[in-house]
Amino acid sequence: MSPVLRLFGKPWIWSWLAAFVVWFLTVTVSLGGGTLGLSQAALTFAAFSIIVGIGQMFVITLGPGNIDLSVPATMTLAGTVALKLMNVENGMILPGVLVAIVIGLVVGLCNYSLIKALRIPPIIATLSVSFIVQSAAIWTNRGLRIKPPSLLADFTTSNTFGIPNVAIVALLISIFAWFLLEKTIYGRWISAIGQSMPAARMAGIPVDGTRLVTYLFCAVLASVAGYLLACFSGGAALNMGSEYLLMSIAVVVIGGTAVAGGDSNVPGIWGASLFMFLVVSMLNTYGLGAGIRLIMTGLIIISVIMLAGGRRAGMR
Amino acid sequence: MTIRKMLLASAAVACAAMPVSAVAETSAKKIALSNNYAGNSWRQAMLTSWEKVTGEAVKAGIVAAADPFTTAENQATEQAAQIQNMILQGYDAIVLNAASPTALNGAVKEACDAGITVVSFDGIVTEPCAWRIAVDFKEMGRSQVEYLSKKIPDGGNLLEIRGLAGVFVDDEISAGIHEGVKQFPQFKVAGSVHGDWAQDVAQKAVAGILPSLPDLVGVVTQGGDGYGAAQAIAATDRKMPIIVMGNREDELKWWKEQKDAKSYETMSVSIAPGVSTLAFWVAQQILDGKEVKKDLVVPFLRIDQDNLETNLANTQAGGVANVEYTQDDAIKVIEAAK
Repeated sequence: MSPVLRLFGKPWIWSWLAAFVVWFLTVTVSLGGGTLGLSQAALTFAAFSIIVGIGQMFVITLGPGNIDLSVPATMTLAGTVALKLMNVENGMILPGVLVAIVIGLVVGLCNYSLIKALRIPPIIATLSVSFIVQSAAIWTNRGLRIKPPSLLADFTTSNTFGIPNVAIVALLISIFAWFLLEKTIYGRWISAIGQSMPAARMAGIPVDGTRLVTYLFCAVLASVAGYLLACFSGGAALNMGSEYLLMSIAVVVIGGTAVAGGDSNVPGIWGASLFMFLVVSMLNTYGLGAGIRLIMTGLIIISVIMLAGGRRAGMR
Repeated sequence: MTIRKMLLASAAVACAAMPVSAVAETSAKKIALSNNYAGNSWRQAMLTSWEKVTGEAVKAGIVAAADPFTTAENQATEQAAQIQNMILQGYDAIVLNAASPTALNGAVKEACDAGITVVSFDGIVTEPCAWRIAVDFKEMGRSQVEYLSKKIPDGGNLLEIRGLAGVFVDDEISAGIHEGVKQFPQFKVAGSVHGDWAQDVAQKAVAGILPSLPDLVGVVTQGGDGYGAAQAIAATDRKMPIIVMGNREDELKWWKEQKDAKSYETMSVSIAPGVSTLAFWVAQQILDGKEVKKDLVVPFLRIDQDNLETNLANTQAGGVANVEYTQDDAIKVIEAAK
């Protein structure tokens, strides 16, 4: 098989192609004027979806029924509490990050305790935890919008060599996730659990430990994304995480990860996140009404998934 | 036996006495707030205002109780069930911020049939037996373009930031803006995005459409999206256009910073979250036996260049510029509608 054909066999290539086509169509309207601006904006906003998407991907890889619905609430709580703690002081940046990570760990632990100890399905368990977490965020925050420390605000909104800093953070996290998934025994374990939990148990894989770590990892990534997003948008808001519930799942699916679990890939998350931002920009740029815009978004997403899925079935 | 008889007798006396006292005053009346959503700063301010004003009213003995209830999921079915519970709990009036203008009509009708006064505000219901306290959202949109036409007589390109797609308020404000553009044809809406009344969503949407837009002279908004738009435009090398703000504290603070630094000028307009307290007093007046028209209009709260500082000082951090209404204000609004 030639290298080009092999490339088309990769499940993630379709999200990249879709992102490129949409980018091209948007840029042609503005006659190349806003190429750099659009690309930078796409990288910046995709970065947040990438970070939460990677966490969600690990959880979904664990197999049918595994999903984390507490992502938006965790983002909101981590953002509000960290910004309140830092209170605009540059010296408090590190404690702020630590608090965000601790919040992620606690939420992840609650999620898995409910799933394991009370035998509640993940979709219900994480949803109920998300209610508690969101209420905690409302209780601590009450609509207060505290500005991020100036160093952090500058860092999250500026570029290095033309590339947004948040995209660089997302890239580092992605490389780490790719390494975990492809090169470590832990990555093999979650794929094995996703393909068949009983078989994985028979093979002597520490199933519970692996699942716990995965839920912790997802919640920590969500809280880090919430922390960065709050700093980027000049303060945490109570509804800042809401659009990342569907987004985190959509980028996983469009990226070519198997919804049934056991087979995932990191590059697809990037293609899908860029695509999700660009498709809205494109339809906005063409000036279509809200109704048509939502229908088009749905149709485009369905066709990308069909292309990716259909192609893959043929290759196997 | 005798005790039971005495109890029955006193109950009978109380029942007989009730209708007489009910016309004269409302100290025995219980009012409930049915609210569909609490997850943003405007709703938080609305609930805080409610607690503050009704807390004092309860302490002063004007009403017996004024309990706020908020549904978790912003669903009409959930809120309908909540209203049915309130009917069973025996509230005398329900003040309602509805999840849908039509989906709650059945539950509202049930409440009316049970003799309960229903006053809807902000998110109003169309059921004829309920009272409606509405804002002239169309005028709110039109007045933005009128303001811009005074600041920039030559006109130019505008960016419109809309709210949540499919919500009645979004359609009304947008219709007002387009009416304004027709009235002042030197302006043109060059692009339009949905910001969902949230700063981060607006920031993302504006950043996505900006590269394809020509030079902008103004940004017309719906509130809760001005600061996000400013952040997105500040990240590019464009000249800052006049962004109409929506009374949020972060928006007013940003405006103040720009005003001090480069004498930036704009205005800010939105509905005050304290409208919940106006609805409370209207409900109290109806229970008191006042004749009140079913449709009332509440003025929106506008902030201009010269009263920015006072309004900013009165707005709590993270909140929304607010007005809390008194019983006299409610009587004035009721009189004005007659």
